[in-house]
Amino acid sequence: MNGNMSPASASSLGYIAPDGGWGWAVVFGAFISIGFSYAFPKALTVFFKDIQVVFGASYSQIAWISSTMLAAMYAGGPISSILVNRYGSRPVVIAGGVMCGVAMVTASFGNTITHLYICVGVIGGFGLSFNLQPSLAIIGKYFHVRRPLANGLAMAGSPVFLCTLAPFNQYLFNHFGWRGSFFILGALLLNCCVAGSLMRPIGPSVTVERPAQTNGARQRSPADVPEVKVTGRNTCLEEGCMANVDKFLDLSLFKHRGFQIYIVGNTVMFFGFFAPVVFLAPYARSQGCDEYSSAFLLSIMGFVDMFARPGTGLVANTRWIRPRIQYFFSFAIIFNGTCHLLCPIASGYAGLAVYAGFFGVAFGMVCALLFETLMDLVGPQRFSSAVGLATIIECCPVLLGPPIGGALVDTFGDYKYLYLMCGAVMVLAGVFLLVMNVYYYRMLEKEEEIEGGKGCESQNVELGIGVGKRGEPWLGGEEPENDQDTEGDKTRRKGD
Amino acid sequence: MFSPWISSLQLILIALFWRGIFTVSLTAGTVPLLDSNVPQTLSRSAVITGDSLVEKVEILTPIDLQLSCTCNANPNKLPNVTGFWRKDGIEIDNSRLTVLLEKEQYNLKREFSIDGDNLGNYSCVFYVGDKESRIDFYLTAPEMEGKQDKPVIAYVGDSVTMACKIKHLPNAWIWYKANGTQQELINATTDPLHYKMVVDGNATKLTLKNLKELDSGVYICSAVYNIKASVKQMEVRVISFMEPLKPFIAIVAEVILLVTLILFFERWGSKKSDDLPAENMIPVDQLDKLTQDDNNGMGESNARQRNV
Repeated sequence: MNGNMSPASASSLGYIAPDGGWGWAVVFGAFISIGFSYAFPKALTVFFKDIQVVFGASYSQIAWISSTMLAAMYAGGPISSILVNRYGSRPVVIAGGVMCGVAMVTASFGNTITHLYICVGVIGGFGLSFNLQPSLAIIGKYFHVRRPLANGLAMAGSPVFLCTLAPFNQYLFNHFGWRGSFFILGALLLNCCVAGSLMRPIGPSVTVERPAQTNGARQRSPADVPEVKVTGRNTCLEEGCMANVDKFLDLSLFKHRGFQIYIVGNTVMFFGFFAPVVFLAPYARSQGCDEYSSAFLLSIMGFVDMFARPGTGLVANTRWIRPRIQYFFSFAIIFNGTCHLLCPIASGYAGLAVYAGFFGVAFGMVCALLFETLMDLVGPQRFSSAVGLATIIECCPVLLGPPIGGALVDTFGDYKYLYLMCGAVMVLAGVFLLVMNVYYYRMLEKEEEIEGGKGCESQNVELGIGVGKRGEPWLGGEEPENDQDTEGDKTRRKGD
Repeated sequence: MFSPWISSLQLILIALFWRGIFTVSLTAGTVPLLDSNVPQTLSRSAVITGDSLVEKVEILTPIDLQLSCTCNANPNKLPNVTGFWRKDGIEIDNSRLTVLLEKEQYNLKREFSIDGDNLGNYSCVFYVGDKESRIDFYLTAPEMEGKQDKPVIAYVGDSVTMACKIKHLPNAWIWYKANGTQQELINATTDPLHYKMVVDGNATKLTLKNLKELDSGVYICSAVYNIKASVKQMEVRVISFMEPLKPFIAIVAEVILLVTLILFFERWGSKKSDDLPAENMIPVDQLDKLTQDDNNGMGESNARQRNV
């Protein structure tokens, strides 16, 4: 498909994205933040057995702590986006780090389970959401050419942190009990502040005029986020959006066809995304493997995942894939679904280990591309709003997926149906995304042909500054009179 | 050592005879249900393909127990083999017998009087030729569920709960604190501020309240049966708040240090490059310049861009 892939992604940053230099430090900071965000709720489960005994609660009551944390993390997305749009990534991440730290420290003094729900679940979860969204947003500001790679590297934080946090938590628990562990983990989460301090604000050193006077530029504080929104070329779109635009959160995204497709596809996908991970160990045990071997399967998956994410980023960055990244994402989802569909065929421990390996690759692929594709669709400018809206909508299937899977297992008494359902759901989502994206880009091409390239449709064309091969200047920029859209996008594609 | 030439060695435990009470229906303080003249039998059999078999027998009360073993004969069908009994690996005196072949099987039986002192590992051994086959019977008091190999950590002023659970209902539950080689009985009623003991049939819980450092140590819960008491040891370590505080302060110090360094480095870096355009941040006039070069002077659009 040679058409315009993600025209919106070629949004003008208003400056040349560094694609390196301090950007790698930012990636490292994002790596830490994302690592904590995704791995921390899962790694907490190490303490559950003991907390269960101490508080005299059932396992499901205790498991709600993790679920609440994850839910708050996803639900806090829009708030996080608003704050990032207003203040930039750095203050939000630092605030998030402090929130998490305070949450865990207060939780260590708790005496009831409700106290834990509120401290760890709600406050901790919101703190983590203040880490997750800004980290993703700032990668888009520092990288353009190498963005898929940067995304892949940053997302690799999740499996790396999970593999280190889980044994570390066990060690802490053996030496300090659960209270001392929570106390120390509070300090550890303050390292998110270090990550945040690495996220140097970037942008043109120009005072952005107040939005009331501008043509629909988002309100930004001067020192910070760089969105210099381009030109009158977008005015017609802007006029339409202006009525709806919330200064801080771009709700007009819901009108963006690409975004709509992304949301629907991902929501469906998430129903079947996490359940196989949750049930891998119990499934292995039901097939006759012992406890340690079953747990080892998860380690295999995590270990493969660690390398699959940057690997996918690297692959997605290549000349051939980058323009077609949405299709690559659909392929990754379909591959993931196929793994699950084939899982019931796997027999014995070797078969399950092979499945775990493939699942690790597929899981890593999807995770690495998850936010890259969103960035690609809406552009780094609107990404922070987009990711907030996306996460709060995805909150639902993420939380409902495993319990529905559990209900399936209980009803049929066989894990086979769970895997078949998850596989089918994911293949369906992948196919949907594939088909709809083909349709979407065809429509865009048609619209551009019709409007002769002057259309409002193509949002945010590249400035035509050398984002190709480094330093190589583009010809054709954002000349409104000329038909530069397709050129711009083609060169962007060429440039990688 | 074991005899591979016995093609299918089947050691079958035929019957356990004992006078007394069914283990399953033992309740504390009840009179034996059965008439001692009528032997009660509970037969268990097992078939193995190897050369030895282990049977675990849980005994609650002193009984006379008959253990019986059966060994299937090999194709050679020797008319007689040597059989004897071992206790804990040592051959029991005068237990060596010559076992005759009966209906293609060798049978060995012996009655043992079991009480608290002679629980252990009883084995019947068949010596066929020079090879040994045997069944081990592990006679024990009931074992507690769960293991506690790691100490439970608790804090001064906090409370900690220890639980014990067992399969068969004991006569009583008793808690001790180990004091060197001695064991001190814990009496919850005399010290309600400090201890709370809950007994719930097969399970018991001991809660230590208002912990102090000298509460650290080994606690033993004991399930008392007629034959013997079954124990489980748990270690409690009471630590002061200072212990986790040290790593906490260390990590917080590290965070503050790193943040300060990073921000300082950034401030210093930006001061240095005040005169030069920053690598990352291209002032808009420079931007215009670049675009002008590239775009054949799109000054207009650039101005528009700048103003937006």
